[in-house]
This record gives sequence, structure tokens and C-alpha cells, in this order.
Amino acid sequence: MDASVWITLALTLKVAGWATAINLVLGVAAGWLLARRRFIGRELVDAVLTLPLVLPPTVMGYYLLVVIGKRGWLGHWLQQSFGINLIFSWQGAVIAATIVAFPLVLKSARAAFESVDPQLEQAARVLGLNEWAVFFRVSVPMAWPGILAGTLLVFARSLGEFGATLMVAGSIPGRTQTLSIAVYEAVQAGQDDTANFLVAITSITCIAVLLAAGRLAPVGRVR
Amino acid sequence: MSFDVDIVKTVSSSERRSFRLGVRFHAQARRTVIYGPSGAGKSLTLQALAGLLRPDSGRIVFDGDVLFDRDARIDVPARLRDFGYLFQDYALFPKLNVRQNIAFGLQSGLRNPSAQVGGAAVERWLQAFELVEVAAQRPDELSGGQRQRTALARALVHSPRALLLDEPFSALDPALRLRMRKELDELLNRIDIPVVMITHDPEDLEWFGDEALYLRDGQISERLPLEA
Amino acid sequence: MNLLRLRRCIGAALLALVAPFAAHAADLTVSAAASLTNAFKELGPAFEVQNPGTTVVFNFAASDALLAQIAKGAPVDVFASADQDAMDRADAQKLLAAGSRRNFVGNALVMIVPSDSALGLKTLADLQKAAVKRVAIGNPASVPVGRYTKASLEAATLWAAVEPKAVMAQSVRQALDYVARGEAEAGFVYATDAAIMKDKVKVVATVQTTSAITYPIAAVNASPNPGAARQFLDFVLTPAAQAVLARYGFGIP
Repeated sequence: MDASVWITLALTLKVAGWATAINLVLGVAAGWLLARRRFIGRELVDAVLTLPLVLPPTVMGYYLLVVIGKRGWLGHWLQQSFGINLIFSWQGAVIAATIVAFPLVLKSARAAFESVDPQLEQAARVLGLNEWAVFFRVSVPMAWPGILAGTLLVFARSLGEFGATLMVAGSIPGRTQTLSIAVYEAVQAGQDDTANFLVAITSITCIAVLLAAGRLAPVGRVR
Repeated sequence: MSFDVDIVKTVSSSERRSFRLGVRFHAQARRTVIYGPSGAGKSLTLQALAGLLRPDSGRIVFDGDVLFDRDARIDVPARLRDFGYLFQDYALFPKLNVRQNIAFGLQSGLRNPSAQVGGAAVERWLQAFELVEVAAQRPDELSGGQRQRTALARALVHSPRALLLDEPFSALDPALRLRMRKELDELLNRIDIPVVMITHDPEDLEWFGDEALYLRDGQISERLPLEA
Repeated sequence: MNLLRLRRCIGAALLALVAPFAAHAADLTVSAAASLTNAFKELGPAFEVQNPGTTVVFNFAASDALLAQIAKGAPVDVFASADQDAMDRADAQKLLAAGSRRNFVGNALVMIVPSDSALGLKTLADLQKAAVKRVAIGNPASVPVGRYTKASLEAATLWAAVEPKAVMAQSVRQALDYVARGEAEAGFVYATDAAIMKDKVKVVATVQTTSAITYPIAAVNASPNPGAARQFLDFVLTPAAQAVLARYGFGIP
């Protein structure tokens, strides 16, 4: 059991890490679009993108299973075109964790971008910067504290993701059994000692990451 | 220099009122002042000239260069119009120091200038505006006058073909205002760059207006060519 | 508002808050193995008709999970498990009311495949084919059907070959679902479960198990409603109840 705990931890960090990285990019992009671009149905889009946070994870897991399972329209296409099967794979676990945690960074990023003084972006434009440069040199640095906070929430949520992951990725030790699922199974099997140990590992990991990330948000400094 | 402007822009504010800006003028003086009370549409006009606001219709031509022409579907983006712009609140980048602010537009990539950025143009402007001592400080550590000089340096460092000033002195106290007016006057004499300034202060009119356009309720009402 | 009325109002408010949590005096809580879901859901109303005033509340999950809950003090009256192992452990932890344990139904272990499977699987040995990538098995650590499966595969010296392909399910119903959805090429469930999804799975083999599959049922020691618990235990052994269970594919214990 001892060696396998570290494998489980490594797998959990891998899944959470990927989910966080993907969400950082998607969340910042979507948050910026919602903050800075006006279009019809903007608030509706925002509401729909926030749904995964409001729906129970098992419901999300069910929808995912239906869509990316072998018989689902997306899963079937992936199977036929690329031979990819996401169910029972760690990539499936990443997708589940990504979708469930996405609204956390979306909300934070949107609020953060909305709080950036548009005049600063205008000043950058007049000084000759193109839109990408304005985004990376002005908007993102000014919005960074909010974005970072949202990203940390995503990481914590991904680390603890259980319901959707269990449905989509199953519980395959070494491949898709994350720490939260391992805790659940240990409790189910009456193995309290194992459960306590896993819970302790998870908590320590979370705290360590949050402390380390606190170093990434020095207020008032830009690289 | 010459600005040929004929534009219409309707803006709806949050209180569901809408404001219609319809200005048409031909400004040829070295220093043009657009003068009018608050809410007259001065800022909107200046932003349209700079490319920060897109008019609903019309044309903007500078020195023969068509910057905007709705019918011909021309709209040169702000970054290519080669103007310097001074915002009313200066819009200095709060997390960058004075050097980095001034050098900001000189670097076109995705990275900001480093904290010790140098270069001939940057040093020249630091000297000219007596900012050398505060070059490593952030905007929130500067006085009002220093901030304005930094913002001006930032606008001028890439030698723009015209300078657009949005109420440059309204944020300063009266004593400072007098001093800054003198400084700007000397500066403009030295640099010889065409200027369009918007203001609601008649003193600015006296100091800077070779030519004045009176703007009220979104329309130019009378032209007042003044003695230089 | 004077003090007396205030106190009355607060009292009423507190009562209103607490009322939903006060256990209905005549609730019977039955924790039953997942495979009993459909059959028990039919037996519940039948029991209520015979014992008016009692409401039957069901809690279905893998037997070990139910055991864990009872061990931690969940207010359960009756425990129906899918294998003797789980009930033995309950006994060892002194969770059962003395003398109440009895076997009440039997079941069979079957190997199933999705109904549209073209792999032609017929025996346990066929699971070694390369085309079989995933086999849905209940987690032996916590699900009785997994234990039966593992024992049978070990007896056939196939466990080593099948285990790498195993997808562990949290309950027999989840294993069934994996096969029904086509996510696993084969799986092991009880005959009764396979019968529930006749249209989505087909049984290709009945698996010989190392011990007969019999389901024990018992009253819980700390049962909040011991009278109704005993009545339920007697009820499941009546011919009428046994007939219902037989209809779902359960056998005689």
C-alpha cells in the first residue's frame, strides 16, 4: 500500500495540474472576452459557462459520460477518427476536473479584467501596441492578482474532484484513482487507517501548494 | 499641420440619455484649442482624433493622411496614427517605474521594458524633464507635476507628428498650473510639434490658442482665431 | 411584543426547525445490497400495506459501504448483504441483534457483454483475447460481487490475466452500467442484475463460484425500531415475498 499512495498522489497532482493549466488559459481568454467585448447574449453565455459550478458533479459526470462515452457523439467520433477513448483514462479525469472547476477562474478573471482601468489599455494602444501586446503587457499584469486567486481555487477544486471524475474515469489504481476516490474507497471498505493517511496527504499537499502560490502574487511588482 | 474633421458620433450613457456629437472643422494653426464647458464633447472629439473612439460616420484627415473615412471603410487604428496623447489622469502604468513608462511605447513585443531600461531617447527625455532623480520610482511615489512630465515624456519619446492633450492642467492646483503652463509653452517652442488641446479653462485659451474652436453640446459654435 | 409572547415565538420557531429531523416514530430503515434494489423497492410497499403505520426507507449501496455506515452509528434497522463475508464482519463488530441473522435468497454470478457485442465471448478464458480491453468487476475490497468474481477467476487461474484489464466498480450496478454503455467489453454481475437490463446486456456464461451465493439478512443491534425490524425479517421469508424475489431472478437460499 505504501508505494501506491505516492503513485496516487503523483496521479492526482498530474490531473489537477493539467486541469489548472488548461483552465488558466481558457478562463483568462473567456474572462477577457466577457469583460471587454460586448455582444448579444453576453450575460447568457456567462450564465451557461458558470453552470458546471452549480450542477452537482455527478450530474456533470453523467453528461460527460453521455457525450464522450463510446456511444456519445463526441466519444464515438474520437474513437473512429483517432482511436481515442477518454473513459477510464487519466485524460478523461482531466476533462472532468477541468470542466467542473472552470467557472471558478472564469468569474475571477472576468471581475479582474473589469477592474482594470480601460484608460491604461487606451494609453498602450496610442503608444503603438497591438492588441496582443496590450493584453499581455497591460491587461493581464493589472488583472493578475484576481486571475491568480481564481487559478488557486481551480487547483484546489481539481485536487478534490470526485463525483464527475468517478463517473468518467472510474477508479483504476495507478491510472485514474485519484486521492479523493482512494479515500472514498478506503472508507467504503472500512479501512479507516488508510483513509486517514490519504486525507492527511491530501491536506498537506493542498496547504503546501497554496503557500507556494502565495509567493506568486506580490502586489505591485511586474516582471 | 492640418486637421480636417467632419464626424458624427452618438453615445448612449447609462442613464438612457444619448449624446450626439457632430463636429466639423478645419484646424490649421500650430496650436489649436478646443474649448467648451464640461460635457460638451471635447474628450470624445479628441479620442476620435486619436483613434480611441470610432465615429458613426464622417472623415478625419491629418496633413493629407486619411485616418478615418466611414464610406471608404478606412479606420486607421490608434497605434498607427503616430500621435502623442496625454490623458487627463495621465494613465501612467502603476506597476512600472518612470523609465519603464517612458520607454513603454518603444518596445513593441510582448514584454515590458526592464526596470533599468536606457537608450538615447529615454535618457534625453529624463534629462529634459528633470526626472533623472526619480527615474526608478513608481507613479504613486511622484508628485503631480512629475507625473505629468512623465506622461508627456512617454507621449513624446517616439517623436509623434502631433500632440493631443486632454485637459492637461485641470488636475493641478493653481500655483502648479501656472508653472506647468510656462513649462509646456517653452517645451512646445523648443520642440515645435503641433498641438491640439482640449480644456474648459479660459486661461489655457490665452496661453495656447493660436486657434480656438468653441464646442458646446456636441457642436462647434464659433471659431475664434486669436492673436499669437 | 412582551417577553412571554417572544418566548413562545422562539419556541415555535425552534420546533419548526427541529421537526423535520425528528425521526418518524414508525420508520423502518433498511440498508440493502445494490443488487436487491428493484426487488426490495417492490417489497417495500407490500410490507407497508401489511403493517400500516410503518414507512420503509431504503438505502442501497455495495454491502461493505453499508457496513461501514452501520459501524459508524447510522440509524439502520435491517441489513441485507450480498455475501456472508460482509455479514460476518458485521457480526464480529457486534452490530447484529442476536439470533436475527438468516439467509433469505440466493443468486448466481454471470458474465455479461453488451447486447451488440460481436466479439463472440463464451467462456471465462475468452477474456484473455486482445479484443477484450476492459472488464467491469466490482471492487473486491468493498463489493461482494467483486469478491465472488475474483475467487472464481482465481480458481480458473485467470485472475492474473484479467486483473490488468479490470475496471473496478463501486457497486454491482455500476459494473452493470459500464457494460450496458459499452465502455467495458465484458463484466461480472449477478443474474438478477443482468435480468434488469435485458435489452442492453446479454449473459454469455454462468460462472461457477467457489461458494454458493446466498444473501444473509439481519436486524441491527442498535436499531431504532426493533419491532418493525423483526417483522421485516419474517416478511422476506414469506411465500409471497419469496415469489416476488423469484420473479427478479433470485433463488432459494
